[in-house]
Amino acid sequence: MALDYFILVFISSLGVYQITAIHAKLDGLCFFKNRVLQFIFGLLAIIGAFVWFYTSQDRNIHTKVEGSQQLGLFLASIVASYLFTAIMASIMQAKVTSKEGFPREGKQYDMGMETLKKTTLFGGIMSSLRRERKDKV
Amino acid sequence: MPPLAGWTLTVTGFVGKSPVLDHVMRLLVNDYFIPLLICLIMLILWLSQRDRLKRDRLQRTVMNAAVAIGISAAFVKVINAWANPWPRPFLVNDAIIRESARHAAETIFYFPTDPTFPSNGATIAFAAATGVWLGNRKAGALLYFLATLWAVARFYAGIHFFVDVAGGAAIGILTSLFISKVFMPRIEPLPTWVMKLCRLLYLA
Repeated sequence: MALDYFILVFISSLGVYQITAIHAKLDGLCFFKNRVLQFIFGLLAIIGAFVWFYTSQDRNIHTKVEGSQQLGLFLASIVASYLFTAIMASIMQAKVTSKEGFPREGKQYDMGMETLKKTTLFGGIMSSLRRERKDKV
Repeated sequence: MPPLAGWTLTVTGFVGKSPVLDHVMRLLVNDYFIPLLICLIMLILWLSQRDRLKRDRLQRTVMNAAVAIGISAAFVKVINAWANPWPRPFLVNDAIIRESARHAAETIFYFPTDPTFPSNGATIAFAAATGVWLGNRKAGALLYFLATLWAVARFYAGIHFFVDVAGGAAIGILTSLFISKVFMPRIEPLPTWVMKLCRLLYLA
């Protein structure tokens, strides 16, 4: 049951990331260039995960997955799904070079999720490493 | 027996009369369905804002709600360790209520073994809804609706008395208000450090 729950959360949160990435313009998390395709993929992932979970067996049974374990599984699963999404998007968009340059004087560098509006996870890591190296020089 | 125990008999009396309603309730009462919907809505809130400042504010709201869920669940454990005022409806001495609740639980859910007061599900669902409502009224209202559905379904399934779910909701709401308004501002700069760590890891 714990593994099934992990998979349910993993796939449904994958769908959530794809759909919210459209709205938040987080291009670095997108699997597709076509927004409609991406929305359909996200929606199918969420619906598919729930349908699989609830039709594969009876889920109203007494199990050992307690509340705190459920919370831990949920957190682990959404982080794993987020990393999977960011890494997959980085690989799929590998040909797209990072648009992030060095900011004009007085402007701050983007940090964290904000970076994913302009580049992928790998792109963001690479550019922050380059910045660090340049700052040292 | 708790106050308003007779309401259990009225509500569980509907079980078995409408297969469609029973099917819907089987889904709503499930241990995973509504909690996961609530968590996914919180995940959407975490990500969905375009503007960085608005997103930061909403992420702090979600963080407060998540902390409120954890603290209120721990609070229920403490209450359960000290007091177990009455048994589950399907275990009470009153034969009419017991048999009606037993039939409902058997049809809709299963027989839980942990203490009945307060309802764990109502506590965490209302804690999440209140935490989110303080930062986003629309999403908060949606979460209150889901929390109410879950509480009603657990009452319908004969696994809680009305007082259990009402008490759980009250504990969840009050805990969440305390966490968001008093506790989290008092422990600054810890929440800010957590947000910075999340930002460093591209999670916020």
